[in-house]
Amino acid sequence: MLLKQYERELDKVLARAEGSGADMPAWVKDLKAKGLRTHREHGVPTPKVEDWKYTPLRDFSERDWKVAEPGPAVFKAELPRYDAGSVRIVLVNGRYDRNLSETAPGVTTVSLRDAMVSHGALIEARLAQAGPDTTKTVDREIRPDVFTFGELNTASFEDGLFLMVEPGVEVAPLLEVVHVLCAEDGEPTIAFPRILVIVEDGARIRFTETYVTDGCNDSACVPVTEVFVGGGADVEHVRVQDQCACSTHIGLWQTRQQAESSYRSYNVCFGSKLGRLDQGIWIGGEQTVTRLDGVVCANGEQHLDNHTRLDHAVPNGNSFEIYKQVIDDSATVVFNGKIFVHQDAQKTDAKQTNQALLLSPNATIDSKPQLEIFADDVKCTHGATVGQLEDLPLFYMRQRGVPRDAAEAVLVYAFAAEVLELISIEPVRRALEKRLYSKLGIDLT
Amino acid sequence: MLLIKNLHANVAEEGRKILKGVDLTVGKGEVHAIMGPNGSGKSTLANVIAGRETYEVVEGDVLLNNESLLELEAEERAHQGVFLAFQYPVEIPGVSNAYFLRTALNANRKAQGLAEMDAAQFMTHIREKVKLLGLPQEMLTRSVNEGFSGGEKKRNEIFQMAVLEPALCVLDETDSGLDIDALQTVAHGVNSLRSPDRAFVVVTHYQRLLNFIVPDFVHVMMDGRIVQTGGRELALELEDKGYGWIEQQVAAQV
Ligand SMILES: Nc1ncnc2c1ncn2[C@@H]1O[C@H](COP(=O)(O)OP(=O)(O)OP(=O)(O)O)[C@@H](O)[C@H]1O
Ligand SMILES: [Mg+2]
Repeated sequence: MLLKQYERELDKVLARAEGSGADMPAWVKDLKAKGLRTHREHGVPTPKVEDWKYTPLRDFSERDWKVAEPGPAVFKAELPRYDAGSVRIVLVNGRYDRNLSETAPGVTTVSLRDAMVSHGALIEARLAQAGPDTTKTVDREIRPDVFTFGELNTASFEDGLFLMVEPGVEVAPLLEVVHVLCAEDGEPTIAFPRILVIVEDGARIRFTETYVTDGCNDSACVPVTEVFVGGGADVEHVRVQDQCACSTHIGLWQTRQQAESSYRSYNVCFGSKLGRLDQGIWIGGEQTVTRLDGVVCANGEQHLDNHTRLDHAVPNGNSFEIYKQVIDDSATVVFNGKIFVHQDAQKTDAKQTNQALLLSPNATIDSKPQLEIFADDVKCTHGATVGQLEDLPLFYMRQRGVPRDAAEAVLVYAFAAEVLELISIEPVRRALEKRLYSKLGIDLT
Repeated sequence: MLLIKNLHANVAEEGRKILKGVDLTVGKGEVHAIMGPNGSGKSTLANVIAGRETYEVVEGDVLLNNESLLELEAEERAHQGVFLAFQYPVEIPGVSNAYFLRTALNANRKAQGLAEMDAAQFMTHIREKVKLLGLPQEMLTRSVNEGFSGGEKKRNEIFQMAVLEPALCVLDETDSGLDIDALQTVAHGVNSLRSPDRAFVVVTHYQRLLNFIVPDFVHVMMDGRIVQTGGRELALELEDKGYGWIEQQVAAQV
């Protein structure tokens, strides 16, 4: 199966990429051609593919998608901002917007297209290479599947963001990357945001990535984010998917971590009708700390699917993964958490927990932890629970006068807070807390 | 103030009969003690008054100031002034005690048409009560009842009661698990709330509490009914002789 109608568009995209691509180096064109070949070869996965069993793409693949044009300069809705003191960078329909984006000393934030010229060698060495190291994943049990939408993004992206922090630099302000998706009413529009983040040795940065639609529109976002965390670097990365409830989001997020680095990542999913994110972290250096936590809140008819893959490829890595998933109405949430502890990765300490809270009898969770351990001296634990709001705490709160829906919201928040409170950036934490309440329909003033 | 008429209640799911015709009248300003053997239905009565949905009222009525409570949700009863100090206070991980209580206070204030309090106003508002119950400051920031000792939980219940200032205070074995000093602190907290407009129903197994909180009436509950009522001397008699003699009296009447 292929994105049927999109096939026609693809030729247009490629022609456009080539036509205006006088400035695109030959290696980029090769990379794009390869992306397209691979995508065509694998197509859009059907439910027969194990990793897509619970997430049917039939409707998605049969839509008549148009490639998103560069967006307007004026938006229907105000663009999000968590922290008044932050540096905000805006990508409209996947393209870095120079006019709307701020800059900060110590950190390079430029259009990916420009960076291919200014930082050509560096980007050639990194772009589309944050995934698992293919020389170390030859064995069939640990070989990653092709994420065909990542390939589609590589084939299709026209511009994006290049974010780099030089060695040893500590970036003080928060960086907020906002992806805004614009579409004409009733026009299924697809965008391919691409961002490449390189945090060099010993550098430090905290940044957010937020995906929103401009008002409610029928858009699909197929982004790829790649993050390279250098030796001893310290990175906190909060990804918030808060698109409107009629949109689609199918994303790939890959990170490579070097020795003695810390990478704390949070995947917050509130939005889209159909949402799928594949997050992969490749731990390629020793003495690392890794967090890949998630907060998912789905209601209405939403279908939100998160797949994570963590590769402990070397010894002495510590990883923590907590997923908290709140599911209401007839929404469905899918979680698949793979942890590969490679043969060399002795003394790995990996903890994974995933918990679901079902608020309605029609809510569904399909969760599958998957620990594959090939080393013998490791500490790995995983646990999964599915529960409902308990009757007694609810009664206790109501007895004190708290109305039922507010009491439920407080308990739901308490459930999700275990992850949200790990986010060290207070304005972000507060905004997400507020957003969670508003999503649950609670006005707690 | 509180009028309970021929109240019959079952466990909602299984239909087991627990309350089998409770009659009780509590006037404004009064303190009523309810004693009785384990499993006789004291906590069930307290929970039914508070609106716990686990129990289903099949007959009779519960009136507060001449209005039936039975159709009201638990939170609406709270807004009418019903407060239940739980026999087993509930732990709520992840929700701070202060946040919880402020949310509760504001919900009550909102229901009464009063302005809500922000965090600072709230802290000022509770300062006296914190002192009254000798509550360590850190108990406010900890999660509701989580990891509290048995005695701390009970003290926290009375603290919440003092802050919410309800009209009808139902205390379910608040004295159990308290050491001697804490018992006095809690009794002192309760007594400071006594007023001509407020009534107390105190469930207890021990006469000792009633030395500190002196009741106007003492009732004995057995097998889902109030079978004996007297003054405070009844509690002394029970302490002395146990429940056997009442059981025999009840048996003789049948
Ligand atoms: N939810 C329930 N499901 C089943 N049985 C129940 C339930 N609640 C109460 N009961 C039963 O009803 C009876 C009365 O219980 P209740 O807790 O009211 O007693 P009590 O007088 O408060 O006892 P104690 O002095 O031990 O606290 C007991 O036999 C108890 O097991
Ligand atoms: Mg009891």
